[in-house]
Amino acid sequence: MVRVRHTIASLLLVIALASIVIPIPPSNNGEHLLDAAEAQGTSLTVYSGRSENLVGPIIEQFEKDTGIEIEVRYGDTTSLALALVEEGRNTPADVFFSQDAGALGLLTNADLLTPLPAYILDSVDPRFRDPNGTWVGITGRARVVAYNTDALSEEDLPETLFGFTDPAWRGRIGFVPTNASFLAHLTAIRVVEGDDAAREFVEGLIANQALEYERNPAAVAGVAAGEVDAALVNHYYLFRLLAENPDAPVANYYFPGDDIGNLINVAGVGILSASDAKPLAQQFIAYLLSRTAQQYFAEETFEYPLLIGFPADPRLKPLDEIETPEINLSDLDDLQGTLDLLDSLLTQ
Amino acid sequence: MIRTLPRSTPISRLLLAVTIPLALALLLPTVYLALRAAQVPSGDALSYLTRAGTLRVIGRSLLLVGAVSLSAAAIGIPAAWLTVRTDLRARRLWTVVLTVPLVIPSYVFALALVGALGQRGFVQGWLAPLGVERLPSIYGFWGAWLAITLLSYPYVFLSVRAGLKGLDPALEEASRTLGRSGWETFRRITLRQLMPSITAGVLLVALYTLSDFGAVAIMQYNVFTRAIYLRLSLDLGLAALLSIVLVALSVGILVLAHITEPRGSHYTQRSARVPRRVTLGRWQGAAQAFLALIALGALIAPLGVLSYWLVNGLQHGETVNSVLAPLQRSIRAAALAALAAGILALPFVILQVRYPSRLSHALAQGAYLGYALPGVVVGLAFVFLGAKALGALNQTFGLSDYRSLGLLVFAYVVRFLPQAIGPARAGLLQVNPHLEESALTLGRSRPRVFLSVTLPLMRPGVIAGVALVFLTAMKELPITLLLAPTGYTTLATQIWSASSEAFYARAAAPALVLVLISALSLVYILDSDD
Amino acid sequence: MTEPAAIVCHNLSKSFGPVRAVESVSFRLERGHFLALLGPSGCGKTTVLRMIAGLETPDAGTIELAGRVVDGGGASMPPHHRRVGLVFQDYALFPHLTVAENIAYGLGRGTERQARVATLLSLVGLTGYEARYPRELSGGQQQRVALARALAPQPDLLLLDEPFSNLDVALRTQVREDVRQIILEAGVSAILVTHDQDEAMSLADCIAVMFAGRIHQIGTARALYEAPVSRQVAQFLGEANVLPGDARSHSVSTALGELPLRAAPLHGPVDVLLRPEAIDLSADGAGTAARVQRAVYHGSHQAVWVTLADGTPLKVLTGPEVDWLPGAPVRVQVRGEVLAFPRADG
Repeated sequence: MVRVRHTIASLLLVIALASIVIPIPPSNNGEHLLDAAEAQGTSLTVYSGRSENLVGPIIEQFEKDTGIEIEVRYGDTTSLALALVEEGRNTPADVFFSQDAGALGLLTNADLLTPLPAYILDSVDPRFRDPNGTWVGITGRARVVAYNTDALSEEDLPETLFGFTDPAWRGRIGFVPTNASFLAHLTAIRVVEGDDAAREFVEGLIANQALEYERNPAAVAGVAAGEVDAALVNHYYLFRLLAENPDAPVANYYFPGDDIGNLINVAGVGILSASDAKPLAQQFIAYLLSRTAQQYFAEETFEYPLLIGFPADPRLKPLDEIETPEINLSDLDDLQGTLDLLDSLLTQ
Repeated sequence: MIRTLPRSTPISRLLLAVTIPLALALLLPTVYLALRAAQVPSGDALSYLTRAGTLRVIGRSLLLVGAVSLSAAAIGIPAAWLTVRTDLRARRLWTVVLTVPLVIPSYVFALALVGALGQRGFVQGWLAPLGVERLPSIYGFWGAWLAITLLSYPYVFLSVRAGLKGLDPALEEASRTLGRSGWETFRRITLRQLMPSITAGVLLVALYTLSDFGAVAIMQYNVFTRAIYLRLSLDLGLAALLSIVLVALSVGILVLAHITEPRGSHYTQRSARVPRRVTLGRWQGAAQAFLALIALGALIAPLGVLSYWLVNGLQHGETVNSVLAPLQRSIRAAALAALAAGILALPFVILQVRYPSRLSHALAQGAYLGYALPGVVVGLAFVFLGAKALGALNQTFGLSDYRSLGLLVFAYVVRFLPQAIGPARAGLLQVNPHLEESALTLGRSRPRVFLSVTLPLMRPGVIAGVALVFLTAMKELPITLLLAPTGYTTLATQIWSASSEAFYARAAAPALVLVLISALSLVYILDSDD
Repeated sequence: MTEPAAIVCHNLSKSFGPVRAVESVSFRLERGHFLALLGPSGCGKTTVLRMIAGLETPDAGTIELAGRVVDGGGASMPPHHRRVGLVFQDYALFPHLTVAENIAYGLGRGTERQARVATLLSLVGLTGYEARYPRELSGGQQQRVALARALAPQPDLLLLDEPFSNLDVALRTQVREDVRQIILEAGVSAILVTHDQDEAMSLADCIAVMFAGRIHQIGTARALYEAPVSRQVAQFLGEANVLPGDARSHSVSTALGELPLRAAPLHGPVDVLLRPEAIDLSADGAGTAARVQRAVYHGSHQAVWVTLADGTPLKVLTGPEVDWLPGAPVRVQVRGEVLAFPRADG
């Protein structure tokens, strides 16, 4: 027993010392080339709330195609946004790639982003960018109703999101109350229709014994299994389900008109005013809106490519056919109020 | 009669000169919080704090802390007693097994727990043929309670074990001869003497519960715990306010602990006599079953789920990224932090034990304040300070980013120093002051005495503290995400990155490697007689 | 030409918070002599020892070791410069070092180290134990190692803090003798702190009796026993019966008759202290009437408790020949002069 202890202890000591002393081979991030690149002014620093698995390959492609070195910091969107606020003028970051519009709104309202040039802004529909041009969406995530095609047809579904509070829907709907997209959606409701409408909506769902799912895939699986007839989710979960199970009887439903139920949230980018590499940053954003990158995002995630005129997956309802509510997505940064509202309503 | 200042000698003055700046550094995150919170207009601040939502959050946090403290003690105390004082079979093995949950990161644990017990998790899958469509939701209070209990009971387990080993059996034997039953003896004599150990362990559990967001976030204990507040809430000022409430709560807990353990600086001789082991007899089976149940939840389930994910993912064609470089980075940062913490803990401990005074105690206990803060708060504090410093440094050194391995290690130390202080203090308390005094009269100066007598005898305690910081830093996530130099991927960030995109095999591989390496460091924490 | 005294203490005082532990303690010990600080627990004797060692700093007073002032006038020499050896009650052997390493701890580097260790081991009778660890030794052996360790660097003064209290009673007398021999052979000056009067009397040349932080009397064992300056000293060394009396110059009248006083002339109400061995018993004859309560036979002598007519109890140490039975009448007579102290007014 004592021998085992000593062996393990020595082994660990050796490993620790080796780790401290032996130089680490440089990572894909190309840190070793960075100093040279920085000196030449050919490098960018990106804070990305989108994961490395997703964004890494396209960034590598950008580096290959342009010779511009990129240093990416991956993290949680909100933490990164807060970090940017804390860093202020001294931030090393040039570009912020956000998972959702709320974080971009926070930075806009804190005056940390610089307006983008017209040629970038014009590539994207005005409803998917900041009205003052401080950020632009790269891909879109539409709120939809995933419904069971065996049980329902489109005519059976309500014409507004609030229709789901009708007692006819008792026990037949599901939603994911703890999901960030749902929260963003609820915030949008508060912004556009007011706090009371939002409260009544959730109360209505609860009164209708709406099934609370833990995660979006679970909700869509629940629709497929017939547990519920319909669920409030993001559009792309359907396609992930169909990739595994092509015969699943589920489809996406969009509300007619510019109902609040048709909210499309975006993953977008902005340039920090404190950046000293703005031209490079613009180049990067332009790349994200290029056909190559948009194709990549569309295939990887089934999200809506936001480059005007670029076709999405044919199974998706085309973007210009979806009437979105009138809303400044930058206003989605008031999550505090939404959390309070839900807190007081849901029991857990 | 306790003095306010330590008695003044060249050594105590030197110690103060070292610990006071350190203590101020440890307070940096709290100062940052105060700065941010001060930006909120006082009217808003007051209404925010007294709003129903905030009060609910505070109430739920306290509820969670209380519940977890109770259940962690309910597991840790009997388990400690069984492994130290009875003839439990395979004691050594049980001791190791029951300590392992310490090395599992809370976010990994929670993920695995959900995988096992979620509405459509493994257990539901097994029970499906029996007609179980879905399990009651593991999310919410019960999920968080279960996850954190299983993750933190080892603190109580280890602390009470140490306490039991130091007890003088004479008192218990006297009680038995006076006719009291085993249970009564345990309750009146043993338990009372164990109070300091129990308190120390439960204190760590309580503070850990307050600060842990990995498990709580994934368990989504009502989204509306501070954790999610800080992650999703985009108002720094209000988040800071809430964090200050957190600090107040932890101060309250520390005060409570202090009341039950007022005499923390006295040398007590360890009993040389080993008490008779209690024969379990027909309770052997029940004891084994109890421990097996804990091991199942705390160890087997998470490791099983992780292994399944790895294998399953590979079979489905998922690729696994190389863990070698992240492993080395994790170890490098954690080992440096552990070494630094081990060394920096010494002045605090020496002051507290050899030069007791109100100031000495305040300095040592002040270190615990940072322990209750969420990692993301500590991270943001250093982002703020680093960026401010960068502005100044940029002119002189031409730096482009304030982030560096050094800053990361420093942030780890600020966060985890209490974990080094506790065991080092326990180690020093076991050193008879007469030994040091003898050495002095034999002609050796104080520094020589410290190196040749005190330190060698304290060594097991110091090393246990170093190992504890190592394994905690290995699995650290929020600070690393914010402060690690860009591109400095550790195992923890690799796991997080993969799991947030639901690539479970990619998350499982680094997770298993992390658990394995950290488990090796347990050898320094468990006594040689285990 | 005269060698400086081993130690001179003058007016030492020390308080811990509101507690005055040591008050104006002064004494002197010549080279090669042995002093015992004798007193009950809490009388401050250990504090005095610790101040001599430099482990506590006196609030007032001076200490001179071998002619050098180590405490006083604002300066205090740190313990590791004082050349004072200390043996603790719990021996305080370094558990992580062997016996040889323990003993060698205070020695400088050099070839003489090993030889010195060997010398000391043989001095304390533990040759062959070099490689043992303290936990492998008995209490008595540990004490001898502690002694050897303290003596190794050839200190000017050796301090012993209740060194025998942790030993089994049966061992004590023998160990005491052994230690006395060792110290004698080493030729070192020594101060012993103890609450055991037997110990003080058998080991030390000179005894200082302390109560409540003050020294009441310093002197040889005989001087303290026969001419104690205070009631406490009288009652601490040896046993004493206390009898009320009325002093008239050189004699005092008591229930046992008119008794000659020993010390300076006293007047008025006093407490008379009678040593048990100074009382004679006879079946009849001269003396005060009393009744036997109890007699305990000790082989070489007897302890007999008697009660006087007025109920006063007396303890008497007498010869073993007569078999005193409980209840028997007896005559009590005091031999020689008696000690008396003015009665403390209640």
